[in-house]
Amino acid sequence: MTIAASQHRTQNPLERRYALLGVLLIAPTVLILCAVIVYPLISAIYLSLFSIYTPTLKGSWVGLDNYVQVFGSSGFWSALGTTVTWTVGTLFLQIVFGVAMALLLNQNILFRSLARSLVLFPYFVSTVVAVLIWRWLFNDLYGILSHLLIQFGVVDMPVDWLGKMPNAMASVIFVGAWKFFPFVVIAVLARLQTIPEQLYEAATIDGAGVFGRFFDVTLPQLKDVLTIVILLRTIWDFKEFDLIYLLTGGGPVNNTRTLPLIVYQQAFGLNQMGVAATYAVAMMLVMLAFMLIYLYRARRQSP
Amino acid sequence: MMPARRSTTILANLVTWGLVLLISFPLIWMVVTSVRPQTELFQIPPTVIPRAITFEHYIKLLEETPFLRYFMNSMILATSTTIVVIVVGTLGAYSLVRFSYRGRETLAALVLFTYLLPSVVLIIPLYLMMVKLGLANTLTSLVIAYTTFALPYALWLLRSFMAGVPEDLESAALVDGASRMGAFVDVILPQALPGIISTALFTFILAWNEYLYALVMVNSDQARPLTTGVMNMLITSFNIEWSLLMAASVMMSIPLIIIFAFLQSYLTRGFGAGGVKG
Repeated sequence: MTIAASQHRTQNPLERRYALLGVLLIAPTVLILCAVIVYPLISAIYLSLFSIYTPTLKGSWVGLDNYVQVFGSSGFWSALGTTVTWTVGTLFLQIVFGVAMALLLNQNILFRSLARSLVLFPYFVSTVVAVLIWRWLFNDLYGILSHLLIQFGVVDMPVDWLGKMPNAMASVIFVGAWKFFPFVVIAVLARLQTIPEQLYEAATIDGAGVFGRFFDVTLPQLKDVLTIVILLRTIWDFKEFDLIYLLTGGGPVNNTRTLPLIVYQQAFGLNQMGVAATYAVAMMLVMLAFMLIYLYRARRQSP
Repeated sequence: MMPARRSTTILANLVTWGLVLLISFPLIWMVVTSVRPQTELFQIPPTVIPRAITFEHYIKLLEETPFLRYFMNSMILATSTTIVVIVVGTLGAYSLVRFSYRGRETLAALVLFTYLLPSVVLIIPLYLMMVKLGLANTLTSLVIAYTTFALPYALWLLRSFMAGVPEDLESAALVDGASRMGAFVDVILPQALPGIISTALFTFILAWNEYLYALVMVNSDQARPLTTGVMNMLITSFNIEWSLLMAASVMMSIPLIIIFAFLQSYLTRGFGAGGVKG
């Protein structure tokens, strides 16, 4: 280190040593990220130019043929449509439920921290657990959900929640909203607690009612946090695999098959690894727009 | 004024708690189903409150299924992932927050970017990599795969925790003659410890709940974690025993329940630092 320091007389030797230590400390992180993220990412793009049979892992160069095949197939476009339907649907419910629940939990209610924990639980529970519970609730013979609906006279036959359209898509969107809306609650609740009380007092003096205060004071204050939340949740919902795969497996007849499911199916069901990589890269390109906007905003916010 | 205000408070309480119970109903139903006798399960109409409570499903789960094996695998897997990620991440976050060198900002942005990447993009090359290294079907392959999402996540969280440690404290230690690493161990680590614990808890939960990598990389009961293991119990069974699966779901949520019951302050701290954000 003394050698390195003496070579750079222009710089403070202590600063130079510190910079070296800093690089040393970040080195394990950089090495690991290169091995498990950067290399696989480049590799995925490279693989998308091959035709690979999964069981033998033997491949041959096909150039851009996979892309021609993928973009020319109706499978990609219908899966993209399904992904957008799922994302928009579930995100909408998450935001509406999330903001409403945050407003309620921000009030002075009994056992507030217990209520908050109960609301957060679905977000932290494993998707596998969430799906098992909901498949049991949705069960066609003994499921409590159909039973309650029959009892209250809403329907007179057990509902096929997951086996036909549009029920399957609606069910997936709803369970997704139940599982992920607490994220919105946490983010919005944290922001609500920092809105100055004077703003509400001023609005009340000006004659604003409950809704007036919400639209004139609360909503403008929540604008920034909601933008970030919507961007993040769009990215995460778009790439969601577990929930949809485990609830419907993409069925009935591919009606809930989103892009992540197609990637998995191509790679490990149809044994077409090259094509699967192509789907994955194409999917990433679609997501890239949202990722870049988020990065831009996140960097602008944290100096 | 007073009575009107009281009635709105009561209304707010009723509406909020009504919704909270509705949201937690699936979880309550899971617990109820898991302690209900088999005979009561299939009666029509189903009753909400069980007439008798039994732990037969839990006993069956532990004695007749590979559940304990899966549980141990998940424990080893989530603990190892957390240790690796916290050690590497703490050093990395310290470097990102308190040192200046070229490319530091770009690196921080890249870390954030990697956290947004979809797993399905990385999974094919990672699977090929594990096959090539002869690590397929091992817990090690999953620890490696889990660092892809856990490390960027932990780094991002730890970075904001460390940024919160006053710089003066470190400067004071340096003036007193401590080395940079000495100051790190004596000043930064104790100050950032609550944040590190919080990050460790979130990382543990992420690893404990992971499904997709486990599905692709591991295909034997020897190394199968809980998520794919329990799902396998559903798929392979001829007669689906819902009470058994609900008992498994409850057992699977135990670490989470412990964290929620006893370590809540750490979770809340994590929310503040963007624990759910990153």
